[in-house]
Amino acid sequence: MTCEEFELAGLDLETLREGDPVQIAAREHLRVCPRCAALHENWQTLQADLHAVGAETREAEAPARVEMRLRQEYRTRHKTLKARRVAVLAGWSLAAAAVIVAAVSWINWRKETQHGVVQQAAVGMQKATPAGHAGQGVNVNGTMPAGPEIGETLVASNDASEFTLLPGSLPGTLEDATVVRVQMQRGALDALGLTVNEERASDLIQVDLLVGDDGQPQALRLAQSAN
Amino acid sequence: MQIEAQERDDVLLRRSAKGDEAAFAELYRRHQAPLYRFALRMSGNVWAAEEIVQDVFMTLIRDPKKFDAGRGALRSYLYGITRNRVMKHLERVPREWLHEEIDEEKASQAGPGFNVKTPAEWMELHERREQVRAAVLELPVEFREAVVLCGLEELSYEEAAQLLDCPVGTIRSRLHRGRALLLAKLEMLRDAPRRASASR
Repeated sequence: MTCEEFELAGLDLETLREGDPVQIAAREHLRVCPRCAALHENWQTLQADLHAVGAETREAEAPARVEMRLRQEYRTRHKTLKARRVAVLAGWSLAAAAVIVAAVSWINWRKETQHGVVQQAAVGMQKATPAGHAGQGVNVNGTMPAGPEIGETLVASNDASEFTLLPGSLPGTLEDATVVRVQMQRGALDALGLTVNEERASDLIQVDLLVGDDGQPQALRLAQSAN
Repeated sequence: MQIEAQERDDVLLRRSAKGDEAAFAELYRRHQAPLYRFALRMSGNVWAAEEIVQDVFMTLIRDPKKFDAGRGALRSYLYGITRNRVMKHLERVPREWLHEEIDEEKASQAGPGFNVKTPAEWMELHERREQVRAAVLELPVEFREAVVLCGLEELSYEEAAQLLDCPVGTIRSRLHRGRALLLAKLEMLRDAPRRASASR
């Protein structure tokens, strides 16, 4: 072993197991080289000194006040976090409640608004039809059946016994009317002021027309469909 | 909540993060002493060591999620933070020697000087240890770390390498150079008074 090799290996000489070839070679070198022997002695002294200095502080630990401060900080932090979590939860709950209240209020407002519009439309229609009898059917005997509700769409009744009063007709003039059965396209009902389903406008239907003594149709009823 | 003696650090840390103070206290007690000693031996200042340890655990309280159990043990993670804090401290205050709180009686009984008989021998031993401490603090930081961990804390090369997150070979070479530098410095310190008295 050379001096350089000894310097590299010599530090760990004590940690090597007994009989290790490096240890044997290093010990051999120590016997023949006084410079390395002196170096080794210095290392050993230093090792002992380091051990002694280390032993002075081997039991050293942070003072108890550090733990106290840290635990205080820990409590403060987690208390704050807990309070913050509660506040956030409460905030979200309030926000959710506000949204629900707003939604319910809006739905109610919408319902009320729609109801108001319907009522206004009904009032408008009542004004447009004479004495509020528009759309009400009369039977052959001239008695007034229960007509459609105010605001409902004016449609011909399918009930064979009931005639639907055409817009602009007066019930009083029906007493001397004549029933005439005609076949016509459903779309022609539009000309009489009735609502027609456009998809079925070309269908042929049989209609009983109540024709007044002036020759004008006053009311009608659907006899049966031609198709 | 009860703490098992063998409860793993990462489990304790998770519990601590959820507000379990006992888990945090257990973690602190497990790790504070070696961290404090490392900071003390690296800085040579009890106040700095105290502050550093407090700072390290404060980081653990503030941001426990920073620790990733998949990347290593909590011990290594805490050592890493301690090293950073020590470096910052050393940048601010490069070298000081305020080891005043060390129990002198315990110090005199430690190591090979245990059998000192006379006050003169005691004085000589005391002076020598002071020189060693001063010489350790004079070492460049990377060598000082190796000497502190392997020479003073007496950890194995493998343990030191794990804590410093470097290969074992690096620790070995740093320790080698550190000891060589220590010897040179001690030689200088011991020769200085002799040279001074010779020149008079």
